[in-house]
Amino acid sequence: MSNFLQYTIFGVMLGAGYAIAATGLVVTYTTSGVFNFAQGAVGMVAAFCYWELVAAHNVPVLLALVIILVVGASIAGALVERVLMRRLHGASAERPVMVTLGLLVILTGVATLVWSPTTERQVNNMVAGQFRLAGINIQYQEVLIIGVALAVAIALRALFYSTRTGYALRAVVDDPELLSMSGASPNRMSQYGWVLGFMMAALAGVLLAPTQTTGISIESFTLLVVNGYAAAIVGRLKNIPVTFAAAIAIGLAENYVVNYILPHLAQNLQPDITYALPMVFLFVALVTLPSVRLRAVGRLTTVRTPRVAGGYESLVAGAVFLVLVVVAAVVFNGTVVQGTTLLDLGGLVMTLGIVGLSLVLVTGYSGQVSLCQFSFMGIGAFVMGKVSGGGSVLGLILATAICAAIGALIALPTVRLRDLYLALATFAFADAVAQGFFNDGRIYGTGGVTIGRIVVPGLSFGGDRAEFILVSVFFLLSALLVLAIRRSLFGRRLVALNDSPAAYATVGLNIGVTKVTVFAIAAAMAGLAGALYGTVQGVVGTTDFDIFPGIIFVLFVTIWSIRTVSGAFLAAVTYVVLNQAYPNGIGLFAGAGIILIGRAAGGILGIEAIQFPLPWVKRTPAPTDAVAGARVGAVSAMEGGTSAAS
Amino acid sequence: MPPVEAPADTGAVLTVSEVAVRFGGVAALSDVSLSVRPGTVTGLIGPNGAGKTTLFNVISGLQAPDRGTVHLFDTDVTSLKPHRRARIGLARTFQRLELFGTLSASDNVQVGLESGRKFWDLPRLRRLFPGRARRAAGDAGQPDVGGGRSAAACDQLLAGVGLEGSGAQQSSAMPTGSARMVELARALAIGPKLLLLDEPGSGLDESESTALGDLLVRLAADGMAVLLVEHDMELVMRICDHIYVLDFGDIIASGSPEEVRNDPMVQAAYLGEALPEPPSAPDGTGAGTVAGEEGRS
Repeated sequence: MSNFLQYTIFGVMLGAGYAIAATGLVVTYTTSGVFNFAQGAVGMVAAFCYWELVAAHNVPVLLALVIILVVGASIAGALVERVLMRRLHGASAERPVMVTLGLLVILTGVATLVWSPTTERQVNNMVAGQFRLAGINIQYQEVLIIGVALAVAIALRALFYSTRTGYALRAVVDDPELLSMSGASPNRMSQYGWVLGFMMAALAGVLLAPTQTTGISIESFTLLVVNGYAAAIVGRLKNIPVTFAAAIAIGLAENYVVNYILPHLAQNLQPDITYALPMVFLFVALVTLPSVRLRAVGRLTTVRTPRVAGGYESLVAGAVFLVLVVVAAVVFNGTVVQGTTLLDLGGLVMTLGIVGLSLVLVTGYSGQVSLCQFSFMGIGAFVMGKVSGGGSVLGLILATAICAAIGALIALPTVRLRDLYLALATFAFADAVAQGFFNDGRIYGTGGVTIGRIVVPGLSFGGDRAEFILVSVFFLLSALLVLAIRRSLFGRRLVALNDSPAAYATVGLNIGVTKVTVFAIAAAMAGLAGALYGTVQGVVGTTDFDIFPGIIFVLFVTIWSIRTVSGAFLAAVTYVVLNQAYPNGIGLFAGAGIILIGRAAGGILGIEAIQFPLPWVKRTPAPTDAVAGARVGAVSAMEGGTSAAS
Repeated sequence: MPPVEAPADTGAVLTVSEVAVRFGGVAALSDVSLSVRPGTVTGLIGPNGAGKTTLFNVISGLQAPDRGTVHLFDTDVTSLKPHRRARIGLARTFQRLELFGTLSASDNVQVGLESGRKFWDLPRLRRLFPGRARRAAGDAGQPDVGGGRSAAACDQLLAGVGLEGSGAQQSSAMPTGSARMVELARALAIGPKLLLLDEPGSGLDESESTALGDLLVRLAADGMAVLLVEHDMELVMRICDHIYVLDFGDIIASGSPEEVRNDPMVQAAYLGEALPEPPSAPDGTGAGTVAGEEGRS
């Protein structure tokens, strides 16, 4: 019994920490409409700053808290809103997700540079000591966290429902224009939301830091907040009391599972279950959410649509590409760069290019953000290595098929929901697979999975040249496939679905089927890419398919252009080159790039000034805001009409 | 004086029965009943905020009602998803434009035309690499997947709404009036039996508005049922066979154009502003039917 009470107190304490982070997410979301994927990273940086001040420089605890929470977090939150987020008004729906992901990789990248991951950093309780109650020991730190969380929840509730600012904060997402008519500034409200969100993330970070018994680590602490995601989703990203209660429930459930269920399972399963828990909570939360209502929002796209190459044009371009590949294979055979042959690096570019193409399909065309394409790669490589001794054609086929099935399974619970939820589900999936599957020596083997080169009876792809040409052909076929899909009936539907889900449904098309199908195709492509990646590398290991490289790659594709085949290819080149040259700084490049690109939907390749004129292409002028402007005119004309009528 | 069609009206394409929707504490619709018969243009008028768009959303499935039912022909569609209702024969346009903005005007229509096809449809596949000639005829690199018959149907639909030769334009770059016509053509492309139009006339000039009216009358003459929300009273009075007046979520009157025009409650709702005369209306005499008396019995 006393054990039960002990676990309960600890669980509530953990939940209280999640609750603070989760309510921070909710506050930012309700006021700005942006889900801050960097929430965990902000908490992580706050925790490390706290360690730096208190443990390394003996700054008094209270002063450190004031510096971190009141000064640091609020200024950072205000700056992020002003400099990064405000520019994104009117950008495509996936862009705010990308920019907060950019912030996430920048924060983790900087933290890695500043605080060496090899040093252990133990944070002491802010208030030392404990007391006994009902036969159990309760630490003052636990009481502190629970008390602070309660105070935060009550204060926020009061702010939102009892003050004028609170009403304005809640109104800003629903209708910023209407809000500005009432005299409040939507931008100001958004800024308050970001400041509050950052402060709460930092608060959660410094409070939870002492609970990390093995010291705070950059990656695990950043991802600790995935539990907060689940709670925020249960609260439908708007209800603070429900979010709070869900966070407590998740903290309790986690601690009960760890203490009651895990000891009964085989020893070697225990870490996997622990890692999978946040993901399980998130999926349960997603499945139990009520369907979101399709809304006609009058969204208009005013960006220039990237040109889609015609059938013959893409075949000709493909033939030229193939010739270049063969020339490169001959010229660079045997060239070695930093211990890796150039052709192997080229092979990596081609396989990552296929992953990039899968992103063009799922995110560029249909507008759904997937953050787990690298996970599918890892699964594909694993299947490839395990089927008939590695390097078999059957392995390629199975890798593709299994990933398609898993992709459909992940997409299924989210199709009823807003696209953001798919991004969250894929984030959680990538995290769970990286921690519980790829990082597990028993599954992936301590030295990784050996795959070997593809063997077809009568043909050998053992040499670097043949292998490079083979994966290049796969890239080429994938590119032709993606372009063919875009030209097809299905491709037009993908774009239509992205432009207006409400209109898509009202012309009689099934949104759910379309979303699951495209996601499964993209997953299959990533699985194929993973299998090929394995054949290039020979051995794939635990860190190849981590969540952060996956996010960084998505950012590079977005930076170049997530709606074109060339964007996918250039992203792969950038990723491979930077990963070779600056493996530690690659996240900073990606983060800075996405911030610089900002709202430009077409990425670098969409910028007019650098577009390469193709002599056989007739250029049309870029669409202007004609319709938007005309709509404002029409609305005011209507209102004029009404006032005349009234 | 034609009575308000009761929900039991068997010949109706659309029957809305006692539908109520609340947003928080505000009643957007309270016990609204109406029906639309084939071959007629039915108007739905009322001041801004009366609940017209909410009612359209309930009918097309974008908004679940708190109470009441929606029937298309004899099928209760109240809990059906929007795309299922569309397949039964319901199409709509939107007050705030919902175009497929990255697609050209003709592609918008094509999506509607081919909404009944499975995307793995085999005859389509050979068109993935269309011939040079067809690509040259295409525009700005946007592929023409339709080809053949559906391309002809598409041109015909665009011509029907007065957009001959505009098919190649990216729809988000079109002026509002034309964009509304693209939406209308896309709605017509699914071959609807019931067409819901949410302010199709806004953004149109006078001649375009007249052409729109003529088109709707023609569609009705071919047997389609049209439910029209419109602020242009001239247009409504000219082409509607029957008009419902919605105010504060309630149907306050219904009847023929002249009946509605002379209804004291309608005039009160429009604060005494005289509604335009219906074109060939005799001097309005009888008061319009007040829905509260008959519609909810």
